[in-house]
Amino acid sequence: MKQSRSRSLFLLGSLLSLLVATTAQAYSIFGDEWEKFFKEHVTFGGFIENATGLAVGPSGDRLHFNTSNRFDMNRFTIQPEFNIKFTEEAKLFSSWRFVKEPRYNAEAKSRRRSVSPASNAKPLDNTFYDEDSPKPWELVLNLNPADQLSIRLGRQFISWGETDGLRLLDVINPQDNTFAPPGAPNLFNLDETRIPSWGLRVLYTVQPVSNSILEFFALPGFDEAKQRVDEVLGSNDTGDLKVRYGRWSAHPETRMPFGRMFTNGLAGRSTIIPSTRRQLPSAGDDWKIGTRITHNIGSFNFGLGYIWGFNPQGADMVFKLVSTSPGSPGTTIANMRLINDRTNIFAGHFNYALGDVLGIPLNTAIRGEAAFYPDEPYNISSFPGNSFRAGPHPKYPTGITEKHTLRYAIGFDKSTFIPFLQDDPWRAFRLSFQIFQRVIFDHEDGIRPFSTAEKINKVTTNLTFRISTGYFGDTILPDIFLGYDPDGYWVANPAITYVPPWSEKIKFSLVGAMYGGHNKFKSFGFFDEKDSMFLKMRYQF
Amino acid sequence: MKFKARKPLSNFSGSDRLRALSLFLIFIFFSPKSYGAEADLKPGETIGPQNWQKVQGMVGENLLNRIKAGYTFQIKEPKIYHPLKEYVEATEKYSDKVRLGPSGELLNYVVGQPFPKIDPGDPQIGLKIAWNFFWRWLGDDYKTGGATKEGKINRFVIERDGAERRADLVSYFLFPRTRYLLNPKPVIPGYENIDYMQLRVDSYPRDESGTTTLEIRYDDPKKADDLYIYIPSIRRIRRATTTQRCQTLAPSEFNLDDINSFNGKITDFNYKLLGSKKMLANMAQANLPYHRKQGDYLPLDEKWEVVDTYALEITPKDSSYCYPRKVIHINKMTGDNVLAQMWDKRGEYWKELIGFFTPVKLPDGRDVWSVGDVSIVNVQNGRSTIVTATRAYNRGYPASMWSLATLQRMMRGESIE
Repeated sequence: MKQSRSRSLFLLGSLLSLLVATTAQAYSIFGDEWEKFFKEHVTFGGFIENATGLAVGPSGDRLHFNTSNRFDMNRFTIQPEFNIKFTEEAKLFSSWRFVKEPRYNAEAKSRRRSVSPASNAKPLDNTFYDEDSPKPWELVLNLNPADQLSIRLGRQFISWGETDGLRLLDVINPQDNTFAPPGAPNLFNLDETRIPSWGLRVLYTVQPVSNSILEFFALPGFDEAKQRVDEVLGSNDTGDLKVRYGRWSAHPETRMPFGRMFTNGLAGRSTIIPSTRRQLPSAGDDWKIGTRITHNIGSFNFGLGYIWGFNPQGADMVFKLVSTSPGSPGTTIANMRLINDRTNIFAGHFNYALGDVLGIPLNTAIRGEAAFYPDEPYNISSFPGNSFRAGPHPKYPTGITEKHTLRYAIGFDKSTFIPFLQDDPWRAFRLSFQIFQRVIFDHEDGIRPFSTAEKINKVTTNLTFRISTGYFGDTILPDIFLGYDPDGYWVANPAITYVPPWSEKIKFSLVGAMYGGHNKFKSFGFFDEKDSMFLKMRYQF
Repeated sequence: MKFKARKPLSNFSGSDRLRALSLFLIFIFFSPKSYGAEADLKPGETIGPQNWQKVQGMVGENLLNRIKAGYTFQIKEPKIYHPLKEYVEATEKYSDKVRLGPSGELLNYVVGQPFPKIDPGDPQIGLKIAWNFFWRWLGDDYKTGGATKEGKINRFVIERDGAERRADLVSYFLFPRTRYLLNPKPVIPGYENIDYMQLRVDSYPRDESGTTTLEIRYDDPKKADDLYIYIPSIRRIRRATTTQRCQTLAPSEFNLDDINSFNGKITDFNYKLLGSKKMLANMAQANLPYHRKQGDYLPLDEKWEVVDTYALEITPKDSSYCYPRKVIHINKMTGDNVLAQMWDKRGEYWKELIGFFTPVKLPDGRDVWSVGDVSIVNVQNGRSTIVTATRAYNRGYPASMWSLATLQRMMRGESIE
């Protein structure tokens, strides 16, 4: 395995070196025809980036990073990107993402300390965050057989929706929730945490002037071998039954008693030991298909769509109790499967630019999106159960109930001048406010996230606010993203970026990701005690 | 994007040329009298600190100060362009019926120059010249940057200390209701109420690469432009308002209304013709992009020529607008601006925009003109921006290119065509 990886790295390194060098000189090794083709039809770009994170905050915050070495990220990324224009009707885009991230003992040690029994706790592999697959990150063939028809084949991203910072309809591709702190788009934007999927996407423009566009996509399969989105608990497909925890997974102590939420102990066996296993979709069950129409009525732009298929989103997973069995003396084993259900999503989104209303210059763009999930599965428990702890719900022996759910978001974007805060009084501030809500119809008491005993209310709300601008000819770029859950949780993600005036290729960003709340078992509070500061350095080529 | 076949065009006939020339002469004849000094500048003459007085009033204040400080250039013979036959014919055919509405909007406009006859005594002459400027010949479509060596716009942002940053982009314009050569003409069915559409694609540096904007200008004077922006870092299309037209398009010194010298909605402003004026311009750039010293926006070895212009003062109806006064100088020969000057609310000189031009060919081989390099300098903060923006006209793009489907399928570094 190690040999294979080394060989892959060597080959990739060689390929990368060759490709970088070829931009200037080496076309000629292919001959004049190829040299001409490369010059006229191939473009090359990409970036190199290093992101270093340091745990900060009061002593409580250092619970998991409490040694002299408080680094919690040192992620080095190279992403080369190629465009090849074969003809006006056929173009290819390909990129590779190579990541190397040495891990630090601090994280591993603290994980072991916080898991009981310690023997079950195992640090993540040193290469857990690495990405060194020769498989292209994106590989899309764009075909335009007619002016109004666009077909895209390959490993790709598809993003529907209008939101910023937090996702709602953006659930077509799975997300990698392991390396990026949540609710922190100033550190890693939405696109950097999506995992591309193989598939087909077709756009047909019925009427260009009204932006009437039909869209269809089909993603057959869930090809990411390393199931990062389920990196939350249990054996994690490793087969050695050792518990592993990633950097941004929720607190280990929030999960330890969770077996009790699914089952009562057998007679004389009061300790419940959860035995969990990730259940992946079998062949044919992992497709995802969607269709959408977008259209303009005047300046009102909207889209209506439908998505059917396997839902790989980490936040939508549930535990299903399969069986119980006696374990060692005094214990009961609860066998559970961590699953993502197949899902139907009825989707809608809109945007509209408001100018003057009743003579008042609002100058605001309004956008919104909604997703209706019929029969969305939730874990449910009885509160309180045995010994005044959450326990299995008598109505739902598998621990799962299904409820119609509506999620929606409305956002407002406005550019405005705050002259006394600007060096250039005409460099606008961009303000963005969003409200996200989830409504569970026919709500029942006891519905909860799959991993903790915190209840989910009938209506869940998140508010976000973002403000950004530029100073000194946009060489200094502050950007602040704030999230707030009225249940009492918050995230602050301030960033300041420096772009040197002598180079457009280089960026330095100082980014904070701070979390808080009245407990650490829900919402942004999951990540309380993980406050960090990051330095990102990026070179674009 | 798939191109549609273009039909070959017939060449000019002798009578067509005569008619075009007649109209052109009428246009000049009815021009208001010149104001300001008209220096006796001869081709081959060198202008510099020793004789800066000769061009005083013919260049912007900032350039004049640079000349005083040592900047030199030569005067050359003026480059002559002829208006496009089809544009002249359309003007003859439709201009008689064009009127101004109560809000200053155009009524009965079809195609061509709306007001070819300029009467100095007309109280609305300023507005009419503004409409002539708006509907100057710009092709049926064009790709800005399409006629540069790299096929894209190069933009350089220059700091006061000479530090520079580069960006590359292209922009595509479609004029769907004023088409002279490409079918369907003069209007694409369904697009009767759209004056123009612009698609702009950033291609460098990498993080901006793939950012694509679609802007739509409607003929309704009360309807704001539509603006959609595809942002690759979230792979989503964002709606933006266009009513903050003063905001700096950072890091450049341009704002939304500085695009193409003056891109405001015509009915949002008042206009005053200051008179005819001889100005220095460059209607045939020697080099594209022009040679310059690193860190400076001025060309090193370009020659300048004397052109006849209308000096048009533009003042906003909205008192909060950023430029309480802007003056553009419209070349009588081409209808394009050669120098725009802007003042701030304190009445202090703020920005100076110089447009150079260059001859380009239509697909049928005819010579026309295009903007070449455009520079804008903010004299208050010392920053400047240069764009090399030579256009390729009448490429025959399908109207479907200017739709949200194009934005939805953009990849980083991808060309639309």
